[in-house]
Amino acid sequence: MTALTSTRRTIRRRASKAPYVLILPAVAVLILAMGYPLVWQIITSTQQFGLSQQFGQPAPFVGVQNYVTLATDPYMWTVIGRSLLFCAACAGATMVVGALIALLMGAAPRGVRIAIQISLLLAWAMPVVAAMTVWNWLFNWRIGVVNWLLTSLGLPFRDHNWLEDPISFYAVALIIVVWMSVPFVAFSLYAALTQVSGEVLEAAQMDGASANQRFWSILVPVIRPVLSIVLLLQVIWDLRVFTQIKLLQDAGSVANETNLLGTYIFQLGTGSSNFGLASAVSIFVLVLTVAISAFYVRSMLKEDES
Amino acid sequence: MKRRVWGATAFALAGVLALAACSTGGSTSASGIAPSTNGKGKTITLWLVGADTPQPLRDYLKTEFHKLTKGTLNIEQQEWPDLVTKLTTSLPDKNNTPDVTEIGNTQSPTFTNVGAFLDISSQYKALGGSKLLQSFVAAGEVDGKNYTLPYYFGSRYVFYRKDVWAKAGITTPPTTLTEFNKDVATVAAANPDNIPNFSGFYLGGEDWRDGISWIFANGGDIAKKEGGKWVATLDDPKTLKGLQQLQAIYKNADNAPGDAQDSNQYIYVNDNDSIAGKTATDAATPVSLAAATIMAPGWAHWSIGDKGVDAKGAVTRTWNDATFGTFPLPGDNGKPAPVFAGGSNIGISAKSKNPGLSEELLKIMFSPTYQQMLGKNGLGPANSDYTSSLGSDQFASALIASSSNSKLTPAAPGWASVEASTVMEEFFSKIKDSTDLTALAKQYDAKITPILNTK
Amino acid sequence: MTPSTSSGTGLRRRRVKPRTIILSIVGILVALVWIFPVYWMVNSSLLSNVVLQDATPTFAPIGGSLANFFAVVGGGTFLPALGMSVVIAAIVVAFCLLFAFLAALAISRFRFRGRRGFVLAILFIQMLPAEGLFIAQYKLMSSIGLLNSVIGVSVLYVAAVVPFTIWMLRGFVAGIPLELEEAAMVDGLSRTQAFFRITFPLLAPGLIASGVYTFLQAWNEFTIALVVLPSDASQTLPLWLRGFIQASATHATDWGQVMAASTLVALPVIIFFLFVQGRMTSGLVSGAVKG
Repeated sequence: MTALTSTRRTIRRRASKAPYVLILPAVAVLILAMGYPLVWQIITSTQQFGLSQQFGQPAPFVGVQNYVTLATDPYMWTVIGRSLLFCAACAGATMVVGALIALLMGAAPRGVRIAIQISLLLAWAMPVVAAMTVWNWLFNWRIGVVNWLLTSLGLPFRDHNWLEDPISFYAVALIIVVWMSVPFVAFSLYAALTQVSGEVLEAAQMDGASANQRFWSILVPVIRPVLSIVLLLQVIWDLRVFTQIKLLQDAGSVANETNLLGTYIFQLGTGSSNFGLASAVSIFVLVLTVAISAFYVRSMLKEDES
Repeated sequence: MKRRVWGATAFALAGVLALAACSTGGSTSASGIAPSTNGKGKTITLWLVGADTPQPLRDYLKTEFHKLTKGTLNIEQQEWPDLVTKLTTSLPDKNNTPDVTEIGNTQSPTFTNVGAFLDISSQYKALGGSKLLQSFVAAGEVDGKNYTLPYYFGSRYVFYRKDVWAKAGITTPPTTLTEFNKDVATVAAANPDNIPNFSGFYLGGEDWRDGISWIFANGGDIAKKEGGKWVATLDDPKTLKGLQQLQAIYKNADNAPGDAQDSNQYIYVNDNDSIAGKTATDAATPVSLAAATIMAPGWAHWSIGDKGVDAKGAVTRTWNDATFGTFPLPGDNGKPAPVFAGGSNIGISAKSKNPGLSEELLKIMFSPTYQQMLGKNGLGPANSDYTSSLGSDQFASALIASSSNSKLTPAAPGWASVEASTVMEEFFSKIKDSTDLTALAKQYDAKITPILNTK
Repeated sequence: MTPSTSSGTGLRRRRVKPRTIILSIVGILVALVWIFPVYWMVNSSLLSNVVLQDATPTFAPIGGSLANFFAVVGGGTFLPALGMSVVIAAIVVAFCLLFAFLAALAISRFRFRGRRGFVLAILFIQMLPAEGLFIAQYKLMSSIGLLNSVIGVSVLYVAAVVPFTIWMLRGFVAGIPLELEEAAMVDGLSRTQAFFRITFPLLAPGLIASGVYTFLQAWNEFTIALVVLPSDASQTLPLWLRGFIQASATHATDWGQVMAASTLVALPVIIFFLFVQGRMTSGLVSGAVKG
C-alpha cells in the first residue's frame, strides 16, 4: 500500500481500510445502544402510544398528529420560549463568569489560583442530586442560609419563598446551573489563555494598548476556537436542562408555571405515560438544537477541512 | 404459645382454602388459576415499595413461603418516585417482571385498567372479601373484577399544640368541622407568642391531599363516573362549599407558602430549644414554631415532640402530652371528616410465570398473623377484623377513627396522569386569591376531565 | 506601594501591588463561593436530622458526630453499590477512551468517504434528549438479556459519552504534528513503534482529561441505571442515594443521613479528582486550544 504524504497534516491513503477499522468500535457501540432507541423514538412519535400500548395493545399509526398537537398547543410554545430564554441567560452568564474567572486565575498569584482551581474542581465533582439537595436547603424559605443571612443583615427576607414566583424560581435555577457549569468553562478558557504568548501581550502593553484593547484584539482571537466550542456545548446542555429544574420543582413552585423542555418531556413520558407525544417533543428538541447550532457547526466543519 | 396456635391455624386455614379452591371444580374466573404449593426449586419475586414494610415482616414472609411451598421468596425494594417508571418497563416483560408487587392505591387504577395485573377475583373471598377496605378494593377493580387488593392503609389526622391553643383561649379540641375552621382562625388571630408569619393551621398552598378533606366533608368529590365516562366535579355545589371553607382558611388562619406541598409538616409545630423562653421578636434567633396546628400522615408523630439529647449525644424528639395533642379531623355530621387515605395495594403481574405460587404468597399476606403484624407496626391492616392490632394509644385511635371514613382519589384510568401533570397542585394554589371560585372550578374541570379518561 | 526587597537573594525585587492584593481577595472570595455548597454538604452530614430542621442554620459541625455515616453504611447496601459503581466506571472509562481514541485518530489523521457524515453524526447525537429513551433502552437490554448486568449498563453509558469524548480527543490528536512520528521513522522505528513512543505520551494528559470527564458521567448517571438495573441487588451509588431521600409510611426523611450518603457518593470522585488534578489541567492546556 503506497503511502502518500501530503504537505498537510493528514495522510491520504488510497482505498485504505484503516480509518474504517478505527471508527468501527465507536460506530458499533453507537448503533447498538443508540440506534434502536433512536429509531424507536422516531417511530413512536408517529403513533398514539400510551400505557396500554406498552402492555400489548397495538399502537395506531397517527402520522404527524402528535407533532400537530404540539405545534397547536400554546403551552408547548410557552415552554419552548421559556427554554430558549433560560438557555440564553444561562449560557451567557456562564460564559461571562467563566471567562472572568479564567482571567482571574491567570492574573492572580499562584496560591490563590490553586485555591480557586481546587474549589472549582470540588464543585464540579459533586453529584448533581447531592448538590441540588444542598441548594434547595440554602434557598429554603424557613431554614435556608440565604434567608438567614439576608435577615441578619437587616433585610426583610424572613420566610421569603424563592420558588413560588416563576421569575424568582428561574433566578435561583440560573444561579445553580451557572455554579455547576462555570468550572468546566473556566478551566477550558484558562487552559486556552495560557497558550497566549506572554511576550505579545507585553509588547502590546508597551505600545500603549489598554487592557480592553489587549483583551479583544489579542486574547479573544487566539482563544476563539475554545470559546466557540465551549459556548456550543453550554447551549446544548442548557437547552435540555432537566435534573436541576425537576428537583427545584419538587421543592416548590407551581410545576406547570416553571416547566422547561426537559421536565415537560418527562411529565409527558413518565408522568402521563403519553410516550407518543413525549417522543415527538424529543425529536422536536433535537431538531431545534440542530437548527440553533447549524451555523456554528458548519463553520467548524469548514475550519476542520481546510 | 400463642404464635404456634396462630401459625397452626393459619396453616390449617390455608390448607382448607386450598382444598376449597380445588374442590369448586375449576372456578370460572378469568384466571382460573388456583394457589399452588408446589414450589420446590422455584423462586418468585415480590416488590415492596419504600421502607414501609419492616424487616421482621419481610423475614416472616420468606420463611412462611418456604415452609408452605418449599420455594424461595425474593423480596426487592423499590422507591416511590421511580415506581411508575419501573412498573411501566418491567411488568410487561415476562422474563423480568416481579411476580407480586406493591403499588400505590392511587396508581393502581392506571395499571389495572391496562391489564398489567392478573385477575384474582376467584381469590377475593378467601383473602378477606367484604372485610377488606372497600375503597381500596374499588381502586383495584375493573368492570367488577378484582386485580389488586388492599395491602395496608395509612391515614391523616390533626396534630396541634395544646399550649398555644390554650393561650388563645381554646382548651378542648373541636368536634365539628365548622368549629375547627373557626378555632384555627381564632388561634391565628390571637398569635399568643407573637410569632411572625404564624399559622393557626399550616396548610400548604399546593397540599391537596390534606385540603381535599374539606371537599369530601361537604359531600363533594373531584370526579365521578357518569355513563361510563369520568367527569370532573370541582364545580359541584358541594365541592364549592368546601372550596369556600378552604379559601377562608388560607386567608384567615394559614400563613404557609402558596407552593408548599404535602411534606414535612411536622417541623412547623416543633420548638427550637435554643430560644427556650424567648419570643420571636429577636431576629437573630427566630423560633422554629410556626404553626399551632398541622394535618399530616400518622407517622409524622415520630418526629414531633420536645427536643432532647440521647445517650450518644444525638438530638431527639419526644412526644409530650401536655404540649402536643392529636385528633381526627371532625366532620359536620358526628363522624370524622373523610380524609385522603394513604396506603398501598398489592397484586400479581399478568405476565408472571408463577401465578399459583404468587397466589399462595397473597394468602400468607392476608392471613391473620401477617395482618396483625402489620397492625402492630403501625400499618393499617387491609382486613378490618384486625384493625385492633394497631393498638390503643392516641395515635392508633386517631388512625383508626380517621380512616374509618377515608376516601380515595377517583379510580379513573387517567388518574395517574392527572397527578403527574400537577394540575391538582396548581388548582389548589389558586384558591386563596380567586375572586370567583365557580369560574376557577369550571376552568380546572375542563383541564382534568379529558385527562381522566385517557388510557 | 513601597517595593519590598528580600534581603537574601537580591536578584529579584518582589513588589506587592495593590492590584495583586485585590485580585487575591477576589480570588479567595470566588473560591469560597464555589466551595460553599460542598462544605455545607459535609457539615450537614455530621449533624443530626433534628438539628438540621432548626430555623437557625448551624455553620460548623459542633457537637456533630459520624453517626449518620455509620447508619448509612451499616445498612449493608453501600458496599455492593460502591462496588457496582466502581466496576462500571472502570469499564466505561477504559472502553470509551479506547473507542473514542481510535475514532479520533481516524477523523483527524485520515480523509475517507463518510468522514463528514460520521463527524456530523457524533455531533448531532449529543443533541437528543435522553429523557424519552428509557422504554426503548429497557426493551433493548431485555431482549438481549442484559438487564441487571454490568455489561448492559456499560454499553449504554459508553454510547452516551463516546461522541463528546471523540470530539475532545480529536483536538488533542490533531495538535500533535505528524512530523514527530515521521522523524522517528526516519530514525528507523516502525510506524507503530513511533506512535507509542512519541505520540502516545504526548496524548496522555488529553486522555486523562477525557477519562475524568467520562468517569464523572458514569459515576453520577441515574436514569439509565434506574431502568436497566431494576433489581436492588445490582444498584449503583446514585440509585442507592435515592433510597435515602424518600420519606415513607413509618418514618420521615432523615436529612443528616441523606447528606452523609451524598458525601460518600461524592468522596471517591473528589479523591480521584485531586489525584489527577495536576495532570488534567495540563491536559486541558495542551488540548483545548486545538478543539
